[in-house]
Amino acid sequence: MSGAWTAVKEILRGTGITARHFFVNMGLHTLGLFGVRTKRRGAVTIQYPEVRKPLAPRHRSLHRLRPRGDGRPSCVACMLCVTVCPAECITVEAAEDPDPEVQKAPARFVVDLDRCCFCGFCVEACPVDAIRMDTGEIRLASTERADFARRLDRP
Amino acid sequence: MSGAARVGLTIDGRPVEAAAGASVLKAAEAAGIAIPHFCYHPGLEIEGNCRMCLVEIEGYPKLELSCSTVVREGMIVRTSTDRVRAARKDVLEFLLAEHPLDCPICDKAGECLLQDHYGLHGRYAGRMAEVRERREKKIPIGRGLILDRERCVLCTRCVRFLRQVTRTGELGVFERAVGSELGLAEGRPVDNDYSGNLVDICPVGAITSEDFRFRTRAWFLDRRPSVCPRCARGCAVVVESVTGYPLAAGERRVYRVTAGVNPAVNGHWICDLGREGRREIDEGRLGAVLRKGVREPGLAWPGAVAGIAAAVRSVPAAERPGGVAVVLNARLTSEELALARELFVAGLGLRNVFFAGLKPGRADGLLLTAERMPNGRGVLEAGLSPRPPALEALAAARVLIVFGPYLTEHFEAGALGRALAAVPAKFLVSAHAGPLDRLFDAVLPVTVPAEKAGTYTNIDGLRQGFSRAVEPAPGVVPEGAVLARLARSLGLDIGDADAR
Repeated sequence: MSGAWTAVKEILRGTGITARHFFVNMGLHTLGLFGVRTKRRGAVTIQYPEVRKPLAPRHRSLHRLRPRGDGRPSCVACMLCVTVCPAECITVEAAEDPDPEVQKAPARFVVDLDRCCFCGFCVEACPVDAIRMDTGEIRLASTERADFARRLDRP
Repeated sequence: MSGAARVGLTIDGRPVEAAAGASVLKAAEAAGIAIPHFCYHPGLEIEGNCRMCLVEIEGYPKLELSCSTVVREGMIVRTSTDRVRAARKDVLEFLLAEHPLDCPICDKAGECLLQDHYGLHGRYAGRMAEVRERREKKIPIGRGLILDRERCVLCTRCVRFLRQVTRTGELGVFERAVGSELGLAEGRPVDNDYSGNLVDICPVGAITSEDFRFRTRAWFLDRRPSVCPRCARGCAVVVESVTGYPLAAGERRVYRVTAGVNPAVNGHWICDLGREGRREIDEGRLGAVLRKGVREPGLAWPGAVAGIAAAVRSVPAAERPGGVAVVLNARLTSEELALARELFVAGLGLRNVFFAGLKPGRADGLLLTAERMPNGRGVLEAGLSPRPPALEALAAARVLIVFGPYLTEHFEAGALGRALAAVPAKFLVSAHAGPLDRLFDAVLPVTVPAEKAGTYTNIDGLRQGFSRAVEPAPGVVPEGAVLARLARSLGLDIGDADAR
């Protein structure tokens, strides 16, 4: 019996806290509307996705392979990103490149976003600065599992 | 070590004993003191051109090459003084002055002596002001080998290998000074059955193999020793595979087979036939029980063995010696052969136990033997007689059990098909898919030698045990397990535990 009473008491306490935040914020925003400067400002809510916060320059978002002059990825398929990846989410298949100055290029470069933990180790490991996580793309949700295996070696 | 004179010397303050006539480098290695080197290879003659193994020897005014200096009684050697370290740094600086920064795209990276030595003795801040020499980076030199002249450090290991081991001498160093480069003598490509060793002995990535090129990186490979099953020599090999399993379609499991070291058999070399053995581990394998050549879903190998046992039981005990015929092969390990003898000869008293195998090839006088089955001596040791199969005896059998796809080596397809059609119950136990599959009632998939542990006796009578070098492909079992289960199903009490 006392357990049920405790639960009711806690629910009322929680509702009280929510109500307090609501009225305090409403009061602060109302004062702000009339140009009254208060020591504390009302809580800010961003209306995502209509409104977006700017991303920090070092923010790690969806990976990309930096292109060479001719549009092909500058990746040399050395597989150091594969080696360093703690989530084992990168698959690289290397192939012979006709250009003797390049020699080795990825035939397939797949990042499995299902497994990626966005640690950025691949970016740090890359000896030719080919992989970067600066696309700003953070909306990666999908209802199809296959959508998460992203091929980076072709657009 | 009695008989051979021993010499006592001091290396880095440690008293070391070495055989008279041994080099300082060998003596140090035996004592666990590593001396960096490129051109020295234990299987080749000393050349002393890389200057990496310089050490300080008391009484000598200059640093001496440890690979070519012979040990003397009371010699005092120092391998890690400031002078030696400085010399190594300078030697490496010269080697790297002309070496491209190819490590990301170089197959040797991860197992490269230059990388290893640079990590320990490098001068990390370069001071090269000149432009590097550009050289050809992709020259096919025959037998699927690719030469990269920029990476070559001119240690001449490959040149010496081709002169001293194969005695074919296809490669040489041409021109002088900075123009020196490795090239084919008289434009004749490398063409000998030991060419794959050049990739193994190259201390840098100058000679790479087309078969392995760019497939994976050296550090992903799991290296486990095994014994080569492709001829009767029984060379030590290293099977290099990826451990993650199962793999995506088209991915390789075994990336290469390289030479192991066994002074009693093959020294440091293996032939190209043994290297190609990587294909038979991965390619054309059976993965499930087949019935009349088609995959039988839901039938695992114990069920198929029960089928064999039922067929054998259907033959009355008195008629079994002539009515049941078995074809074994000399790729079975000695343990499996012993089990087969217990089961078929001692247990069932069969008269028709045959041995099929690959046709003998050509011996090359170096390692490869004419006999192409690895355990011919083991068959004799197991107390079995290696009788070749007789077509009439096979056709007259009521139950036929065949191990291995080798019957096609002995008979032409038409005659074999007719003979098998006359046999009411026939079973094939094989690792590889082949034309025989649809001729048999059931086909059981089994392991290849690299996937099992056992013993082979080589052509010289040397018994060599080996353990599993690759995890078995999904759905396969060792022949030993098939034999043991068959024996148990037939109520024969033979060493079950031996099979595993």
